[in-house]
Amino acid sequence: MTDVDSPPPSPEGAARIRVWDIPTRVTHWLIVLLVAISWWTAESGRLEWHRWSGYTLLGLVIFRIYWGLVGSSTAKFAGFVRGPRGVANYLKGGWTATAGHNPLGALSVVALLVLLVAQISLGLFAVDIDGIESGPLSLYVSFEAGRVAAHWHCEVFNVLLGLIALHIVAVAWYVFVRKQNLVAAMVHGERAYPAPSPAPVQPASLLRLIIGIVIATAITWAVTRAFKF
Amino acid sequence: MPRTLFRSAIVVALLIPVVHAATPVETQKARHEHYEKLGKAFKAVRDQTSTDSPDYAVLLQNAEIVNEASINQQQWFPKGTGPEAGKTRALPEIWTKPADFEAAQKMFSDRAPKLLAAAKAKDIDGVKAAFKDLGGACKNCHDGFRAPEH
Repeated sequence: MTDVDSPPPSPEGAARIRVWDIPTRVTHWLIVLLVAISWWTAESGRLEWHRWSGYTLLGLVIFRIYWGLVGSSTAKFAGFVRGPRGVANYLKGGWTATAGHNPLGALSVVALLVLLVAQISLGLFAVDIDGIESGPLSLYVSFEAGRVAAHWHCEVFNVLLGLIALHIVAVAWYVFVRKQNLVAAMVHGERAYPAPSPAPVQPASLLRLIIGIVIATAITWAVTRAFKF
Repeated sequence: MPRTLFRSAIVVALLIPVVHAATPVETQKARHEHYEKLGKAFKAVRDQTSTDSPDYAVLLQNAEIVNEASINQQQWFPKGTGPEAGKTRALPEIWTKPADFEAAQKMFSDRAPKLLAAAKAKDIDGVKAAFKDLGGACKNCHDGFRAPEH
């Protein structure tokens, strides 16, 4: 990395370590982009684009869940998701920093992923009131069921927006109050930790990445074709 | 005279629908149900176009519902059944721009028979094309004469 590209110098006594691998970062920002596109295309009635945007999100979320199972150390759910006791312990200050999400942030990650899965799944079965626009799997459900899915597709989005707002507020608090730029860390992958710094991210192999991309693409493709081959 | 009473009751019961004119809210409700039925028929057609072995009986039955609905849509929009009467997505433009509204309806009634014809001919590509065309007619009218969902 050249000087021009390198992140700003670390605070005194802090060590800069790699926290996020490239697949995690790319997935994160593509999800941000695609949620924005999905929102805009839905509001402006561009349903053809909305479907393609939703399909891309489906692939991204499948990949993120896969990466949460077999990906890099900081992307793996087992590496950062803690039970209620872990969260309480963190809130009381009894937590030694590890690279990546803290136990409270983990709840946000899980909630966002669960809501995205719910939102995308509902969209796949949704039918508009005119029976013109519909998700690719709506042919497996009745008009009435498709309308119910459409209704919840709308409701869940509001919950998702609320959670995104909470996520942004939490990150902004880190940036402006605690002076830790988590946004930049999600861009270039590095973050400064006070000594003794935690172990950096353990990347996953390229083969695992390729397998993940193949799985996500295959499932998404099958869904868009309504599992008819 | 229980028998006379019984007969009178039947006569009165039969007369009720005749003398009772629908209120604007009732018309709105009936209209909503009618267009929901049309949406349901549309979905049924769409479902058949996305399968490899379409059921032409289902296709025909629903194409008929769609075609039927395209005839004289004006009957569903008597004066006084707009937003002033109750909750509806029907826009005042329906009554302030009657010529435009009629033209939008005509687009639907011109295209619907093509769907029916393609369904009768068991021509799935024709059905697909007619369906897409017809969707454009629905959208055309909804854009100008129906309020957005929220």
